[in-house]
Amino acid sequence: MHEFSIASGLVEKLLDFAEKNHDKKIVEVRIAIGEFTQIEEEQLSFCYESIITEMPIAGSRLVIEPVLGKVACPHCSYAGPPKYWEGVLTGAPVATLQCPKCGKAAVATEGEECAIRSVRFKPNEIAGTGP
Amino acid sequence: MPNEGAVQVTLEASPDEIYDIELEHSLLEANEKLAIENRALLDRHGITAIDFMGAIGSGKTTLITKLVEKLKDKFGVAVFNGDATTSNDADAIARQNVPVVQIATINGCHLDANLVGKGLKKIPLENLKMIFIENIGNLICPAEFPLGSKARVVVVSVTEGPWMVRKHPHMFLGAQVVVINKIDLAEAMEVSVDQLIADVHALKPDIKVIPTSCKRGTGPDEVVETLLAI
Repeated sequence: MHEFSIASGLVEKLLDFAEKNHDKKIVEVRIAIGEFTQIEEEQLSFCYESIITEMPIAGSRLVIEPVLGKVACPHCSYAGPPKYWEGVLTGAPVATLQCPKCGKAAVATEGEECAIRSVRFKPNEIAGTGP
Repeated sequence: MPNEGAVQVTLEASPDEIYDIELEHSLLEANEKLAIENRALLDRHGITAIDFMGAIGSGKTTLITKLVEKLKDKFGVAVFNGDATTSNDADAIARQNVPVVQIATINGCHLDANLVGKGLKKIPLENLKMIFIENIGNLICPAEFPLGSKARVVVVSVTEGPWMVRKHPHMFLGAQVVVINKIDLAEAMEVSVDQLIADVHALKPDIKVIPTSCKRGTGPDEVVETLLAI
């Protein structure tokens, strides 16, 4: 359940934003999760929703943008999508660090992200001026 | 006059309007920063830290005990034991008469750089050359949390069945060494060690794989050799 640690870090950052921007109400946060990470989207969403229930950011929506992996090979200079390991048990193919061209070890250049991309907000209704 | 009649308009957003702002911020950054600090502290003292990850019962503590036995007379060795609740592992290592820091995560599923950093303040670092960090028995969560170690070792054992690598591929992507333990039981378990090695290399061709039987003493020498060369 490391998703809980990650969701807590996310909420902390958003509360910090809300604290500094009283005139803005966060309605949505978009985060990028890379293919090479082992972060489970559904668990992360669930943790997020559970944490924010009684906070100023309650009701905000978490949108997760998956980021596909990319690798670069120091041996043959290949750069591009990783080699996928097909048929690994029953799950989806797994992105590997094996160069799709020469089979040697490649390094990940994209797909290790776990980051807030953007925050969507609307102007906060200031007390007394609302309907 | 080109500016005559220039109009200044203030546009106020209606409450229904929504706006986006870019807020590039890594959620793993806090831990990564602390990991870099830990690493800098270790480097200053000439200490190599190695992080051992693997499932409960894969043999992490036994392997570390063997490594400590082989190294403690040569230079200063310390061990950090991550364990959710018990001190069993730390007690076992303490019998080797080397400094041991037990890190109880209570309900935490992984060690993080903050806890390791606190641990580094608890022992004198002056005479140490190696620190072995035993992560929490878990094949998922620790992958995302570097600790500041120079290398990460994944310990799997044949008693966990033939699918350990395929079930937890991400754990291996960030590791430099894989130890396949309890190979003396491979036949009884009907698990092919060669297949496990092939699975690891399918994910990451340059990872060093060392089959061991810590109980019989097969393999720990090669682990020592490998870690000293890191």
